[in-house]
Amino acid sequence: MHPILARKGRLALYLAAWVPLGLGLAALLVLTGGGSWGEATAVALPAALVYAFVCLAPWYLCRALPITPGGGPRLVVTWLATAVVSSALWLLIARLLASGLEGIWPEAGTRLGRGGVVMSALGLLVFALSVALHYLMLAVERSRQAERRQLALQVLAREAELKALRTQIDPHFLFNSLHSISALTTADPAGARRMCLLLGEFLRLSLKLGARDRITLAEEMALAERFLGIEQVRFGERLMTSVTLEPDAASCEVPPLLLQPLVENAVRHGVAELVDGGRIDVTARRRGDAVIIAVENPCDPERRVRAGAGVGLANVRKRLATAFDVAGRVDAAERDGRFRVELSLPAMEESR
Amino acid sequence: MSRFESIAGRPPLRVVVVDDEPLARAVLGELLSGHEEVEIVAECGNGFEAVKAVAELAPDLLLLDIQMPKLDGFEVLDLVGRDLPVIFVTAYDEYAIKAFEVHAVDYLLKPFSAERLAEALDRARERVVRGDRAPVAELVRTARPSSGPLERVLIRDGAQVHVIATPDIDYVEAQDDYACFRARGRSYLKDQTLASIEGQLEPGRFVRIHRSYILNVERLARVELYAKDSRIAILKDGTKLPVSRAGYQRLKELL
Repeated sequence: MHPILARKGRLALYLAAWVPLGLGLAALLVLTGGGSWGEATAVALPAALVYAFVCLAPWYLCRALPITPGGGPRLVVTWLATAVVSSALWLLIARLLASGLEGIWPEAGTRLGRGGVVMSALGLLVFALSVALHYLMLAVERSRQAERRQLALQVLAREAELKALRTQIDPHFLFNSLHSISALTTADPAGARRMCLLLGEFLRLSLKLGARDRITLAEEMALAERFLGIEQVRFGERLMTSVTLEPDAASCEVPPLLLQPLVENAVRHGVAELVDGGRIDVTARRRGDAVIIAVENPCDPERRVRAGAGVGLANVRKRLATAFDVAGRVDAAERDGRFRVELSLPAMEESR
Repeated sequence: MSRFESIAGRPPLRVVVVDDEPLARAVLGELLSGHEEVEIVAECGNGFEAVKAVAELAPDLLLLDIQMPKLDGFEVLDLVGRDLPVIFVTAYDEYAIKAFEVHAVDYLLKPFSAERLAEALDRARERVVRGDRAPVAELVRTARPSSGPLERVLIRDGAQVHVIATPDIDYVEAQDDYACFRARGRSYLKDQTLASIEGQLEPGRFVRIHRSYILNVERLARVELYAKDSRIAILKDGTKLPVSRAGYQRLKELL
């Protein structure tokens, strides 16, 4: 739909702009052919208004004939032909009008004939102008659309990235757990079933929490506990855990899956790298209007830095900064063979 | 020498199982108990135990996990040195390419079925019968590195394993087909060629100053002209090492 035709207000404005043009044409006819003003206006004004609509036509053609680097000559020829046709049309309409008005002004037709050339030239000029303006309009529209699309893509990408980061399940953890279940099926069938259920619960909870914007600290700790429970089956005595949640921190609301990557790191890069294993301590408490979550574990100072080692922590930092700006802090330090990460974020009560 | 004389009465394939997870070892133990032609001679919970077991028991086949504490599966192979057939058993396929490069017999993904294990064992048996020898240790060293230049060098000393951080290395000297690492006031022998080591060490820090020497440039005090066209490098602790013409070029480029 032509943008001008799309709104009545615009159309009225557009036609109003053609009125002076029509009057100008009338003046031209008077000058070249003589006759009264009334006669000239009666022919020129309606003709101009009709031509106003004809000059809207390029919009459709402009969309079909974009300006391409090699297409110059072809474009010029096409438009020239179109312009000539339009102008001729205009002249024809004016002629018809004039002959229709012969009853009142018998000389109208001949007088029009005298001003014909000038009128054609004017017609061509106005048409050319209209074509140029239409191309301009289309270019502006296209650029605006591209900008909108770009922004939409950025938003989508960011959403997808955040979603992926929040719900990523470590494949090593998954396949190793399944293998452990497979091992237990003959040696300890009840244990196998327990582990199946534990794994199912963990995955379900992980997906559910990851889909929300805010969860309670109690839910986050429950997820960590399930995770550690599963890992304990794998590692046996090599993994000891202690999870402490202070009661006044339990109902605080936090962004989901902030703790999970830290606990995974504690296992994967901490305890798993120690021949004799160790204990992971997870604590969450309330200090005034802040919530402090800490994960501490032993580590091997000489461990190999594995690809992807810093990703989990970096991700948590990014998410905390995005959510709380300077009110959220992440402190990670390694000292004397122990690694400790502490998150500090504003305490928000559960809003129910 | 073919190990199997006839179809009946074959001696069993002697296997060492290496995995840091007790349950994973249990699965293999259980599944292998159904194979009469296979005998588990040792179960190891980490790379150090594995190296010791291979040195002491000379098994025919290794069932090896990759992600283990301190020493990973590939590092174990680097230390074991012999042409020992290996079946990797691991949770994720990210190491498949490297496993292929070191000519592993097979690559089992956890969790795996008894049938899949049987298939791998068949392949291993074929390999042993054929007498296929693959220089495993050398292949591991030339295989695509998991991440950049070496951060540490592993050296086997009988059944023991020494882990040397590369910054601790003063220099490496070639001794026949072996390489002697000088670090922390001691010498360590590893059966690896100097050329192979040169490819693994960080080029900005270790320079091949001579056909038989690689130097850690941080240990260098100065270079002196010895005789016409021959130079010596004097280290901070007073040691003198020869520098060839090409070696001097390389040193100059770096410094």
